[in-house]
Amino acid sequence: MIWRRKRMPGALDLDIEEHIQRETADNIDRGMPAEEARYAALRKFGNISQIKEETRNVWVSVWLEQAIQDLRYAAGMLRRNPGFCVAAVLTLALGIGMNTAIFSVFDGVVLAPLPYNQPDRLVLVLLYNQTLKSATYLSYSDFLDWQREAHSFERMAAFQQWDHDLTSPGTAEHLSGEQVSWGFFSTLGVKLALGREFTAQEDVHGGAPVVIISDTLWRNRFGQSPKAVGKIATLDGVDYTIIGVLPPGFRLLTDADFYLPLGQADPLALGDRATHDIASIGRLRAEVGIGQAQAEMNAVQENLDRLYPREERGLGAEILPLKHEIVGTVRGTLLLLLGAVAVLLLIACANVANLLLARAAARSREFAVRAALGASRMRIVRQSIAESALLSVAGGILGLAVARWGVSGLLAALPGTLPRSENVELNTSVLLFAFGVSICVAMLSGLLPALKSSSLDPQAALKQGGRGGTSAVHRIQRSFVVAQVALTLVLLAGAGLLFRTVRHLWSVNPGFDTHHVITFKIGLSPSVAKTPARMRIAYQQLMEHIREIPGVQAAEVTTLVPLSGEDDSLPFWLGPQAPPSMAEAPRALSYSVGPDYLRVMGIPLLRGRFFTLHDTTHSAPVVVIDSQMARAYFPGKDPVGQKISFIHVGQFRVIGVAGHVRHWGLDNRGGLSPYQVYSSFYEISDQWLPVMYPSVTATIRTELDPAAIMRPIKAAVFKAGADQPIYSVRTIQQLASHSMHQRLPMILMGMFAGMALVLACIGTYGVISYSVEQRVQEIGIRMALGAEKADVSRLVIAEGLRLALAGVVIGGAAALMLARFLLSFSTLLYGVGASDPTTFASVSLVLTGVAAGACYIPARRAARLDPMAALRHE
Amino acid sequence: MNSEFRAAWPSTHLDDLPKRAYDSHRMSTKERDRIELLQGTLDLLVLQTLLFGPLHGHAIAKTIERNSEEVLQVEQGSLYPALHRLIKRGWITFEEGTSENNRRAKYYRLTAQGKKQLTIETTKWDKLTRAVSRILRPAAQEAE
Repeated sequence: MIWRRKRMPGALDLDIEEHIQRETADNIDRGMPAEEARYAALRKFGNISQIKEETRNVWVSVWLEQAIQDLRYAAGMLRRNPGFCVAAVLTLALGIGMNTAIFSVFDGVVLAPLPYNQPDRLVLVLLYNQTLKSATYLSYSDFLDWQREAHSFERMAAFQQWDHDLTSPGTAEHLSGEQVSWGFFSTLGVKLALGREFTAQEDVHGGAPVVIISDTLWRNRFGQSPKAVGKIATLDGVDYTIIGVLPPGFRLLTDADFYLPLGQADPLALGDRATHDIASIGRLRAEVGIGQAQAEMNAVQENLDRLYPREERGLGAEILPLKHEIVGTVRGTLLLLLGAVAVLLLIACANVANLLLARAAARSREFAVRAALGASRMRIVRQSIAESALLSVAGGILGLAVARWGVSGLLAALPGTLPRSENVELNTSVLLFAFGVSICVAMLSGLLPALKSSSLDPQAALKQGGRGGTSAVHRIQRSFVVAQVALTLVLLAGAGLLFRTVRHLWSVNPGFDTHHVITFKIGLSPSVAKTPARMRIAYQQLMEHIREIPGVQAAEVTTLVPLSGEDDSLPFWLGPQAPPSMAEAPRALSYSVGPDYLRVMGIPLLRGRFFTLHDTTHSAPVVVIDSQMARAYFPGKDPVGQKISFIHVGQFRVIGVAGHVRHWGLDNRGGLSPYQVYSSFYEISDQWLPVMYPSVTATIRTELDPAAIMRPIKAAVFKAGADQPIYSVRTIQQLASHSMHQRLPMILMGMFAGMALVLACIGTYGVISYSVEQRVQEIGIRMALGAEKADVSRLVIAEGLRLALAGVVIGGAAALMLARFLLSFSTLLYGVGASDPTTFASVSLVLTGVAAGACYIPARRAARLDPMAALRHE
Repeated sequence: MNSEFRAAWPSTHLDDLPKRAYDSHRMSTKERDRIELLQGTLDLLVLQTLLFGPLHGHAIAKTIERNSEEVLQVEQGSLYPALHRLIKRGWITFEEGTSENNRRAKYYRLTAQGKKQLTIETTKWDKLTRAVSRILRPAAQEAE
C-alpha cells in the first residue's frame, strides 16, 4: 500500500458519485423505493457543485493560511531578535541597493529605447577608411550622393555641430548648435512643439536665414511664448527668423540650443569632398536589414570611387545602429559593474545565511521537538524561508532608498561621464528588478539554513542538549567564510588593477606639462569678426591684454587642445607629387598656434625655431613637426628645411621639431593620427579662418587658482567688447581626468570592494566568535592542561587565518582568470598586467590582515576564559 | 450539547445543515433536534472517526451520524472539503482501494501527525466545553 502524503486527491466527481450510490443503496436497504432512495441521498449530500467548488478552494485557502501563519511566526522570531534583524536587513539593503542602483543606470543608459519614433530602425551612416581601418565622418557631397543613390532608407539626414554666440535677445552668450539638413527631424520621427521644419529651399547656400530653437532656449530667452515663432534671434551678428521650437529634452548626440540649415554653412568646407566633418543618419526601410543596407552603400561608394578617385578611393561605408553609437563603450563598463555588485550581493547573502545558520543551530532542539511532534520537513523549511523572505523584503525596501540616494549621488559626483544619464530613474522595471533580486536573496540566504535545520536528526539533537548537528552547521559556515573571502579578493583585485592603471596613467609623461594650464574659448564681438584681418588683430590684442594680467605666465591661441578629444587631422605627403587617394594618405594632427604656445604647454622645442609674429599669411609658409613624425619620415636626417605638403593649404617648409604630445589620452589609445604638425595661427588664410574660428581656443599658464585668474581675464575680454562671451573654461587636468574612462569603474569598484571587505570582515568575525563559543569546553580543558593565554589566542586566530588563506588562494585563482578574460575584450587596463603581482600580493595581504583582525576580538575573549567556568560550561 | 448553541455561535457555510423549503414543512421532531456543527468541529470528528482505522468517505459520514445518535447530521457533501483540508494539512492521507462489495473507493487514514493533532484538538475541545458550560450552568458546576 502506498499512502500518498499531501497530494491533491483526483477524481472528486467519482468519489461523490460513489458516495451517493452507497447512500442510495443504504436507503433501498431501509426499504425506500429506488427513485426516492436516490433522491434522498442527493438531498442529504447537499449542493454538489458548491461542494466541489469549496473542495477545490480548500487547497488555496489552507496554503494561504499556513503562509500567513509562517510569516507571523517569522515576524515574531525576528522581533525577539532585533539585533540580528537589524544586522541582516542592513546587510541586505546594502547588497540589494547597490544592485538596484547599478541596474537602474544600466536600464536608463543601455536598455531604455532612444526617444525617437521606432528608434531601432535608425542608423548612423558613415564612411569607412580602409587604410585606417576606422569609421570616419563624411563630406557634404558624399551625403548628397548617398541621399540620392541609396534606396535602403526611408529618409536620410546629415548634421554637424556648429556653435554660435547669441547676442540678442538678452545678454551675449555662447550657445551650442547643430547644422542639420532638411528632413532631419522627420527622419528621427520627432514632432516639433511649435512651428515647422526646414524646407529643401531653405537648406541651400543663400537660403532664408531661419532657425529652430530648443525648448531650453525657448524657456530662457522667449518666456515660452507661443509667439516666439516668427521672432528674431541674432547669432554672431546675423538675424535669424525662428520657424520652430523643439519638444523638451530633444537631443541627438549633443545638447544643442539651436538648429540651422546645413546647406547654408560655409561653401568652402561644404563643397570639399576631402573635408570629412559631417555625420549622417538614416531610417532603414521596414524590410531592409543592416547587412542589406551595408551592401547597397558599399556599391554606392564603389561608384563614387570611380567618379572621384582622389577623394573617395579607399573609402567604404559603415552602418552602425544609432544606439550603439550613443551608448558606446559604457555598456561594457556597466556590465562589469553589474557583475561586481552581483558578487557584493553574494557576499551579503553569505553573511545573512551565516547568521541564519547560527540561529538555526541554536534552535536545533526546537526544530527537533517539532519534527518529533510530526511537523513535516517542508513546513520547517517554509518557516525558515518565511524568515529570510521577510528580511529580504525589508532589505529590498530599504535597498530602494539606498539605490535612489546612491544613483543621485553618483550622477552628481560624475557629471558628463555617462551618456543618457537623464534617463536614469527608479521605474517599474527597476522596481521589478529589485523585487526579483530580493526573492533570489531570500532563496540564496534562506534555503541552505532551512534545509540544514530541517534535516537535523531529531534524536541526536535532543540527546546533545540542543547542540545537535552543530558540527555540520559549522562546516557550512566555514565554507561560507572561505567563499566570502574568495569573492572579496576578486573585487579587491579588480579595484586594485584599476587603481594601479589610473595611478600609472597619472605618472605617464604626456609630452607636456598638464599642470597649471587653463583653456577657454572667446566669442569675438560680431563687430570685430566681420573680416579675417580684424579677427587676427582682435585675437592678438586679446592675448596681449591677458598676458599683462598679474599671475599669467604665458597666454596663446590654438585651434586644437591636447586631451580634449577633438580631432583635426590633415592628409599630407612629402615631395611634389600628391598621392592619388587622400583617404589612403597618412595624416597628421594639425595645430594652428600662436608663437607662445610651446611655452604655455611646456612642450620642448627639440630642433630649429618656433613661430614668431612675423610668420603670417604674407611670409613663406612654415611648419614645426613633432618628434614622432621626424623619426618616421626623416630618419637620420635633419628635418629642418625639408618640405611637406598638406591638402587644401599647399607646401610648407619645416622650421623646427617639437616633442610629441599624447593628444588622444594618457593611455595613448584611440585617434588615427600618430603625427603632429604645428602651423602659425596667423598663417591661416582669409578663406579658412572663418571655418577655423569655432575651434580657436585661448590657453594660459598660471600658478593661480583658475577661478581667481578667470575674473580679471573676463574683465579684460569684456573691456575689449561687452558682447564677447567666454565659455568652455577647463583646466588641462580636468581634460586629462575626463579622458580616463577608467575613472568611473575605478571609483565604483573601489567602493564595492570596500563594502565587500567590511562584509567579509563581519562574516569572519561572526563565524570565529561562534566557533569560540562552541569550543569553550575544549579551550577550558586545554587551559587546565597548561595552555597559555597566547596559545589559546593563536589557536583561534589560526583557525580564522586558515579560512582566509583558503579563500585568498581560491579567490586569487578566480580573479586571475577573470582579469585575463576581461582584458581580452576591454581597454580598461593600461600599464598593468592582468596578473600584476604587486596588485595581487597587496590585496591578498590586506585581506588576510583584515581577516586576522576580525579574529582578534574572539581570540582575546577565548584567552580570557576562566578554565574552571569553561569546563562547567553547558 | 443542545440547540442553544445555534444562537451563540453563528454558523459557517461549510458545516451548515440543509435549510430547504422541502425540509421545513415535513421536518420531524427528530430533525428539529439536530444541530449545526461548529467550524472545525467536523475536522475533529473526522480525525476521531479515523482513529480506529482507514475508512472511505461514505463510511465516515455514517459513522459520525451513528455515533452521535443521529443528533449530528452532517450534510454529507461538506465532508469532502473537510477531507481535503485535512490532507493538505498532512493530518490524514488517502489511497485508492476496493470496498467490501468490490467497488472502487478512496480510503482515508490518520497520519502520526494527525493523531497528535487529534490529541491537541480534543484537549482544546474539552477545555472549551467545560468553560462554556461553567458559564451557562453555574449551579450545575457547584453541584458537581
